[in-house]
Amino acid sequence: MSTTDTPTAAAVADARADLYGLLAAALDGETDVLAAAMRDGSLVDVAATLPVGVDAAPLDREDVDEEALSIAFDNLFVVPGPRYVPPMASAHRDDPSESFESDSPFHEEGTAGELLGDPASTMASLYERAGFRPDRGDFPDHVAAQLAFLEATARAATQALESGDDDRAAQFRSLQQKTLSRLGWLDAFHRHVADADTDGAYTALVALTRTVAAWHARDLE
Amino acid sequence: MTDTNTTETNPETDTDTPDADGEAAIERRDFVKAVGGMGALSLSGGIASTLLDVDWFGGDGNGVGTEYGEYEGSDVIHTTCGQCNTFCPIKVRLADDSGSGEYSSLVRKLAGNPYSFLNTQPYAQVPYGSDPEQVATGDLEGTGEVDVSKWSLSGGRICLKGQAGIQTAFDTYRVRKPMKRVGPRGSDEWKTISWEQAIEEIVDGDDELGHDGLRDMWGYAPEDEVMDDWEAVQEGELSHEAFDERYEDVLIDTDHPDLGPKANQIVDVGGFRRNFIRNRLWHQGLGSTNSIHHAGTCGVSGVVGFNRSHDGQKQRQYPDVENCEYLLVWGTNPMVANKGPTWLAPKLTNAIQDGMRMDVVDPRLSKTAEKADTWVPVKPGADAALALGMARWIVEHERYDEEYLRNPGEDAAADDDEPTWSDATHLVLVDEDDRPKARAADLGLEADDPESFVVIDADTGEPAPADEVEEAVLDVEITVDGREVASVWTLYRERVFEYSLEEYAEMAGVDVDLIDELADEFTSHGKRAAIMAYRGPSKHTNGFYTTRAISTLQHLIGNYDWKGGQISPYAGYETMSGRYELGQVPDGHEPWGIPILRGGVNYEDTSLFERDDGYPAKRPWFPVAPPMATQELYGSAADEYPYGVEALFIRPYSNNHIMAAAGGDKIPEVLEDEDAIGLIVSSDTVLGEMSRYADYVLPEPTYLERWENFGTYPNKRLADEKISQPTIKVVPDARPFEEVLIDIWKELDLPGVGEDAIPDADGDLWSLDSSEDFYVKLATNIAYDREPVPDADDEELELFRTAREKGLGEHFDLEDWRGAVTDEEWRKAVTVLNRGGRFEEPIDGYEAAFAERGHDYDYAGRHPETNAYDGDHLRYQLGTRVNFYDEVAPTGRHAYDGERFDPLPRVEDVVHYNGEVQVPVTSDDDPERPLQLTNWKPRTQGMHRTTGSAWLRETKGENAVWINPADADERGLENGDRVRLDAGRRSVEATVRVTGGIRPGVVGTAWGFGRQGGGATDTEVDGERTPAATEGDGHADHTSNTPGEDTGGYATGRDAGFAVNHVQPLDAELGDVGLSDPVGGSNAQFAAYVELERVTDR
Repeated sequence: MSTTDTPTAAAVADARADLYGLLAAALDGETDVLAAAMRDGSLVDVAATLPVGVDAAPLDREDVDEEALSIAFDNLFVVPGPRYVPPMASAHRDDPSESFESDSPFHEEGTAGELLGDPASTMASLYERAGFRPDRGDFPDHVAAQLAFLEATARAATQALESGDDDRAAQFRSLQQKTLSRLGWLDAFHRHVADADTDGAYTALVALTRTVAAWHARDLE
Repeated sequence: MTDTNTTETNPETDTDTPDADGEAAIERRDFVKAVGGMGALSLSGGIASTLLDVDWFGGDGNGVGTEYGEYEGSDVIHTTCGQCNTFCPIKVRLADDSGSGEYSSLVRKLAGNPYSFLNTQPYAQVPYGSDPEQVATGDLEGTGEVDVSKWSLSGGRICLKGQAGIQTAFDTYRVRKPMKRVGPRGSDEWKTISWEQAIEEIVDGDDELGHDGLRDMWGYAPEDEVMDDWEAVQEGELSHEAFDERYEDVLIDTDHPDLGPKANQIVDVGGFRRNFIRNRLWHQGLGSTNSIHHAGTCGVSGVVGFNRSHDGQKQRQYPDVENCEYLLVWGTNPMVANKGPTWLAPKLTNAIQDGMRMDVVDPRLSKTAEKADTWVPVKPGADAALALGMARWIVEHERYDEEYLRNPGEDAAADDDEPTWSDATHLVLVDEDDRPKARAADLGLEADDPESFVVIDADTGEPAPADEVEEAVLDVEITVDGREVASVWTLYRERVFEYSLEEYAEMAGVDVDLIDELADEFTSHGKRAAIMAYRGPSKHTNGFYTTRAISTLQHLIGNYDWKGGQISPYAGYETMSGRYELGQVPDGHEPWGIPILRGGVNYEDTSLFERDDGYPAKRPWFPVAPPMATQELYGSAADEYPYGVEALFIRPYSNNHIMAAAGGDKIPEVLEDEDAIGLIVSSDTVLGEMSRYADYVLPEPTYLERWENFGTYPNKRLADEKISQPTIKVVPDARPFEEVLIDIWKELDLPGVGEDAIPDADGDLWSLDSSEDFYVKLATNIAYDREPVPDADDEELELFRTAREKGLGEHFDLEDWRGAVTDEEWRKAVTVLNRGGRFEEPIDGYEAAFAERGHDYDYAGRHPETNAYDGDHLRYQLGTRVNFYDEVAPTGRHAYDGERFDPLPRVEDVVHYNGEVQVPVTSDDDPERPLQLTNWKPRTQGMHRTTGSAWLRETKGENAVWINPADADERGLENGDRVRLDAGRRSVEATVRVTGGIRPGVVGTAWGFGRQGGGATDTEVDGERTPAATEGDGHADHTSNTPGEDTGGYATGRDAGFAVNHVQPLDAELGDVGLSDPVGGSNAQFAAYVELERVTDR
């Protein structure tokens, strides 16, 4: 392998931005995006390039029932029914946050599972500090919002790298690092989705997301 | 990070680790290629394309910075802000490089003190035991990270005025040496003299200026001795000549010994350091009763009105904000003032966010009114009509808490879980002239306490001592034991029914429907409704009665001490007693005699009543208020009524009466007159308006350079005690006034200073030679109150020493400080000093809880083990009777006509001393000019004392006159026009701000402008001229000339704007001062009527 074949940092950042964007859309309920990626098998191709094996097989289907996918998404991530897995970091904390306790009349102190807890507060602060307003997800710590933020920072880093502004690129890498360090909840999220998901597509999607983030985090170390 | 959600994403646990760069390169190449082949990207790119528009890190300009310099705990000293009377606990960050000035250290930054809950809202303060080093560096666990949570408790909140304190301390116009005037008073020509010369001339007099010294002026004899002899004279047992001979050197007037000793003619006008200078040095050292502070020019009528409405100490009204459902803010602006900016503002905004409704009564749309549900622009001076209108509605609709009102005493209240009770059922002897409440003995009742109030027992229908009855009758008007009695409730009810709702509404200038709505809302939340009122309704001649009217609204719902209701106590720590009895002066004098401000004394009871042929008295008396009608001092001195002033000591940094008193523009005439006041000594930081007329001006340290113990607030759920201490030394020759007085007192051989001056708890005596001798002991008293604070360990002691050596340099002597207390006490004193005071923790075991849960939790409000509440009640309680009926008021009479004051709230006009109407409320008199002038504290200035700051003058250059568009149209005025404001006796020029944010028919402006001192005039010292700072300075890129639109500009000159108090009307009878409330003692500051006329072309 010659060094000329090594993609530039800008190219890698740009590719990451693309991928985060797609994952964010898919985990924000845009089933047409996920269906298209499943039909052409590209998510499986991407998974194969990662330094760890991800069982992406459920994401490789020529015949995708988009409506079924949409129902699966709603039952997993929207409707608070028996298969519901909240796609927000706050809900997966073992330790309820203080700000949540302070404001909610519906929450019993000391119990887990909540909305707008500390992770939401932390991510909101991070977005605000960066000047970013997430359009994805309903909450600052929604997986789609966090992925969209990674997409945005990766895209901005691409531009900075292309223009030779390494300092600015480092600023974005710092934001990414902070965001990725707050994606540890994806482990629990993945487990819960796997338990609830009868189809497997979203389990694979979350597994892919988790691995992509982990790889990125390692790169930034 | 340890919890499951914030663990670092760790690829090691999920992936095989690639082992070579080449392999990684392959991964990346394949990854980029694979992603590039994703057809779905075209579908998901809609949002991605917009991401390029993100204004990274731009935001709204309020982003969180990450640039900061490292510093250590020893770069920090915690003290108290003195820029306004909120007195926030602050953190002084000393500069790394202190340059080459004569100052000891520069200040890098001022911030809030993170140990104090007052400056960390809405977060929780750091635990008191926290290591100051960790707190300063932000390393304490639980204090948050600036770059993630936007907040770190290494620094607390501070307002813009507080930040500008650096410019107060490092003001170019600071007085640097003791100075003696060269020309006549007020000529602004000075020469510097030594401290020794200044003290010598003050003590022994000076031929050059032709004044006597204190040694000649002072005289004292004990009251008992004098009055016993005077009685002997009256009874013919002692000749008047013998009496004269015995007392002519020590009494002001041997024909009127009730005026007291000559010491009373030595008058102190200060304010700060009351415990030290007033109580200790002036009262007990000198034996003078005349040490005066700012109250008359502030809200004393409000304070007295609140105080008389409650049996316990309650001088202010504040809500328990966090749990309040309905808050009625009345004539105060807590977003900006009244202990507000750092403490109340965040609490109020959060409460509003959480659903609290807030309505605001104010003629102007203040910063608080902006956030209100309903803005109630009442007519200035007519607040009592609104309050009694509400009371009438509440009574008519029976919306009062009847169960509460029928509790006649403590036990009955306790049975209902009520911490307080009212006097509604108590009987009044209505057949007596001064209508006192009936006592058991008055009505022939047998009672354990013959002084018990009497009620009609609801069970028996018979009169009984109040404290022996469970439930009493509200409406009573009967004869008992031959005496006509009526219940307080009956009298109160009669009073509120004197006018119809329509009449009240017309007087207050509001709609009847609005009174209905306010009263309905106020009584729709049980105990979780409260009123916060202060200067707006009280700074009128009817201020006392108005404050009473507002207070009684809360009696109707009995909200005291309830969660979400009215919060009362001054919860603090002992300062003057404990380890050291700082208020005791061995062999001290006891001040006596008629105070020069004639407070607390009935004119009729003095020898002057007969001398002056009874009513009217020459000047007003304030028989039921403390002697704090400060505004009366100068006219009284000129009239020598009741006696002359031989020497006046002033500290104008806190008491600048020329600027602060309505009609203060008349004060210089008195100060210039050497016959009126023989000696004027000023201790000042700059040559303020008052100091310009002094004979001697002594350089005073600013609040960042000296000691103080500013009082705590009555609006907290937890206890605290703040301490100010020297942090830097900017002017090497500046001396705190108390130390100068110690030297003078020693020269005069007065008690309370020098050796054996301060007793400790064991009765041993300690010397008082310096400020530290007093204040380190005060810190020790704080440290040992309740459960003593922990000892400072060796590291803390070292940090204490290092920080002060950095801040104070050669002006710090550790041995002097440490020698003020015992070795055992020293470590605890250091604990208090290192934290800038003592601050109660919200829960027991706070340190561990804080480390676990962090600062972002309302421990006081939410934790089950809170120290703030006891069930549904506040832990610190008023716990006493509340008064609809003030027995004290009718014991006093108006000094003009002898009419007794009213025990009940009432609506009345704003009037002059002789009864002439100034602001009609109940009468139909027409004012001389059409527009009523109100005023307010500016958001960007603390007091007159802060106008020296160019930073603050950049934010608001002058005081525009607000006018409603309807009034502006009538006069052809547009926003930004220059106008002549005609107030009758004086006219000034000003800029108008046309805004709907002020009531039609009312115009208004901020006070704090129009300075004629503090660097606003040319001054000559030792023949060298210092020009006035009137040209303006600053660094902003534009000038500010469009009121309400520009947000800043070049700082204007120090003399910018006009002094609103100088266009207030003078009292028609007195002619030398503004109007005063004869009951509460306040100076009326909203009484002017003006007309505006455009003076310049557009």
